Amino acid sequence: MVNQSPEYLFGQWLDNALTEDERSAFEALCVSDEDFAARVATATQLNVAAEQFSAPPMPAWDKNATFIASDKPKWWQWQGLPAVSMAMSAAAMVMVLSGFSVQVEDGRVTMGFGQSVSSGPTEAEVAALVADRINDYQQANQAMFTQYVNALQQQQQESSTQLAQYLLKSSRQERREDFAELVQFINQQRDDDQRYYARQLTHLQREINAIDDGYTAVTE
Amino acid sequence: MFEKRDEQLIEQALKGSKKAWFALIKRYESGIYQYGIRMTGTPHDAADLMQDIFIAVFKSLSNFRGDGSFKAWLYRIAHFRCIEFYRRKRPDTPLEDSEELSCERPTPEHSLMSDITSQSLTHAMQRLPLAQRAVIELKFFGQFTFEEIAEQLGLSSNTVKSRLYSALSKLKLDLEVEHG
Repeated sequence: MVNQSPEYLFGQWLDNALTEDERSAFEALCVSDEDFAARVATATQLNVAAEQFSAPPMPAWDKNATFIASDKPKWWQWQGLPAVSMAMSAAAMVMVLSGFSVQVEDGRVTMGFGQSVSSGPTEAEVAALVADRINDYQQANQAMFTQYVNALQQQQQESSTQLAQYLLKSSRQERREDFAELVQFINQQRDDDQRYYARQLTHLQREINAIDDGYTAVTE
Repeated sequence: MFEKRDEQLIEQALKGSKKAWFALIKRYESGIYQYGIRMTGTPHDAADLMQDIFIAVFKSLSNFRGDGSFKAWLYRIAHFRCIEFYRRKRPDTPLEDSEELSCERPTPEHSLMSDITSQSLTHAMQRLPLAQRAVIELKFFGQFTFEEIAEQLGLSSNTVKSRLYSALSKLKLDLEVEHG
């Protein structure tokens, strides 16, 4: 059964898709229907006009204005930024409401919920901490004192050795000098004695001589 | 020398190749400009519309999936830009059923057209409602099938045929008036 609708046949004709039966119906319609024939004529005229259509010359237009996507979006224009910002805000609210805390101690990071960062350690912890500190301080002092005493002892030993050596050395020299002085004194004493005895002998000689002269005179 | 396929040029343009994009423009600018002439009636408006169309095409280029021809996709965007063009021109006028969105008399710009037939045809088309004009344009000048036109305009194939059928009757009278 051929579709006799003028619009359908006209469309099939324009698409060049008429079957034999449709073509017969189309041609019959062209003969019998002036209005239809006029449309066919107009369509043919339009096809010719389309092939021969001449437009004004192409104007000089700004093609560069159409190339706008080369600018890569900046990082702050990233579309995920609002979502990330929202997520961060939500996370911050959860952390605040749940008492989330982060503690850094001796290179360790401790995170937890339900404890406040501002609440410090308990008194027992403080006492233990203070005791530890004092103990450490005492041990450090003890070690320092021990080291100091050792250093003093070593220094004392060195000083004593140096003093003994000095005394030994100096006493030997003094004794040598004392002996030299003693020998010199004795020699000097001997010289004096000799001179004394010489004078005594001389004096005695004179007395003897005087006695001898007197005796001689008496005798003579 | 083999010409690159549209899809290759699109791919390169999406990677930032201005040269590829300009090659694509060069391939279609004449057709789009003539489309603009017939749809708007003046070379000046046609040039504006052409620029609008290519900007819109470039912005949507990444959405082209290649399941149809680029030409069909291009003319679909052209049609939407044309509707937008008339909406800006006459914001209160409904477009689909509007009567003539045209110049009533040939403008001096028409004299720029190189032959009488083209001038008459262009002016006669301006007297058609936009919806009918678009069907005439795509069928006779764009050489699309009814199915393709229906897809581009978001209509059924029968509606397109009906519009064309009605448009031809009116266009015949207008061409007779033009030829006087």
